[in-house]
Amino acid sequence: MSEKIFSWLLRLYPSHFREAYGDEALQLLRDRARDEKAFVARMRLCLDLTGDIAAALLRGYNPPQKAATASAGGNRDGNPEFLLLKTQSPHPKVFFAGAVVSLLVLFGSAMAIRNSALFSGNLPLAGPSGLFGFDETASSTNSSHNNSAVVGGKNLSEGERQQVIREIAEDLRKYYVYPDVGQKMADAVLAREHQGDYNTITDGQTFAALLTDQMRELSRDLHLSVRYSATRLPEESDRPNATELAQYRIDMERFNCTLETVRILPGNIGYVKLNEFPDPPVCQDTVVATMKTIGNADTVILDLRRNGGGNPYMVSLIAGYFFERPAHLNDIYNRSDNSTEEFWTRAVPGNHLADKPLYILTSSYTFSGAEEFCYDMKNLKRATIIGEVTGGGAHMVRPRRLDDHFMFNLPFARPINPVSKTDWEGTGVQPDIVVAPSAALETAEKLAQNKSTRN
Amino acid sequence: MPKRKLDPLPSAAFQILLSLADEDLHGYGIMRRVAEQTCGRIRLGPGTLYSSIQSLLEAKHIQEIDQREDGRLGPERRRYYRLTGAGRKLARVEADRLAEILRVARAKRILRGEYV
Repeated sequence: MSEKIFSWLLRLYPSHFREAYGDEALQLLRDRARDEKAFVARMRLCLDLTGDIAAALLRGYNPPQKAATASAGGNRDGNPEFLLLKTQSPHPKVFFAGAVVSLLVLFGSAMAIRNSALFSGNLPLAGPSGLFGFDETASSTNSSHNNSAVVGGKNLSEGERQQVIREIAEDLRKYYVYPDVGQKMADAVLAREHQGDYNTITDGQTFAALLTDQMRELSRDLHLSVRYSATRLPEESDRPNATELAQYRIDMERFNCTLETVRILPGNIGYVKLNEFPDPPVCQDTVVATMKTIGNADTVILDLRRNGGGNPYMVSLIAGYFFERPAHLNDIYNRSDNSTEEFWTRAVPGNHLADKPLYILTSSYTFSGAEEFCYDMKNLKRATIIGEVTGGGAHMVRPRRLDDHFMFNLPFARPINPVSKTDWEGTGVQPDIVVAPSAALETAEKLAQNKSTRN
Repeated sequence: MPKRKLDPLPSAAFQILLSLADEDLHGYGIMRRVAEQTCGRIRLGPGTLYSSIQSLLEAKHIQEIDQREDGRLGPERRRYYRLTGAGRKLARVEADRLAEILRVARAKRILRGEYV
């Protein structure tokens, strides 16, 4: 589609929009046209533009304030009148342009249906990455393997399918946290591939969902998943880059290291609401200062109802305040190098909380690292847990980039609690007192106050 | 032009706020970033993109910082946009609202948690 057509189509946008953003809109279309040259991508651009014009027209011709004011003036005379969508009649060229755009949509839809039916033997697959989610980069990458993937308007070639399966099978065998289950899943996907079970799948999203379901069926592991991205995935990196680290630091400073509330409640109860276990290099000082604030409390309530997890070293650091001597909290077994890392608390000098009652509040949102804190404390009989059963996520997951469009979330490590010799994957942590999350704080306060009265 | 309401926050406006959380971007950069972060599900057309940008500018949730070239795209000068403190707060509130919905979905066993 040439720039001349874009300029012409832009005339369909409301005039106030063209005045404010006409140049930018044209620039954006020029950028997309340069980056999206394949047939299907062009069709998608055309359809996107048509939909956008329709939406802009609906927005743009809603009754503006001025029209409403004018009508109010008319009503003062007591005469009924109709509200107009726009004070001026649309120019005849708008009707002509509307007819052309309708024809373009009709043509585009017909072509898309024809292509998908002809070359895949199926109707277009449902879902966001079906017809409209097709990504040009995927087609150009795959064109050397199978030209029908490009011509057919789909986003997955036989070559890419095979490559994804090979990579998944290899990762499962090498890294999946349970070797026997990993082997079983790898054998199953390869066998299905050998039988031709995946031959008719040309849609990336469908392929990813099917692989996920099949592997979960064998492993019952809800962490394990294959994800498809229509746009090109960023390169894999083991560590966050400097920009990401700087942003993390800014966010943590802005949100006080996710320490949402820190205060002393009636009865000298130290209450801390923590929404993540943040990285110690960034947040250690803030956490230490917080624990000092509640350092003379008679009881501690740690609110993890909105805590989705975080860093296991921060789990150990905070747990350290509740033990007089180093306590063995947890082990993390990493299958890829067959290593086990032990996590212990560290003694905190000048700490007065080691013998104080601890209540932990949970909900089904409480997850991962936050669950580890609960599970460790429960097994060491160091806390009373109040609330709902937690979410049930124990495995550590590493996102593996399979190619430009497929990501494999692969569980590679698991906790092994030194007391229970297992973890909370799939089961969650059972509270000592089950109450609705909304009632957990009140329940903990009552318990704490009763306890201090008895003492 | 009737002012687009940001309460409730439209999906396009929320995605734009998220796209600017990491770095300043121009219009096409925002469109690409939104497509990336939604796995291609949302591709903002010029009308939706710039009317959302205008609403966010009026509400001071984003600000226009300068016009400069993007070396990767050519010599044209482009308007760049930046997330303001108020915009970050608004995105945070919306994310919290969605997290609450997610929490309920998990509690009802409609969705199980996934930890990455």
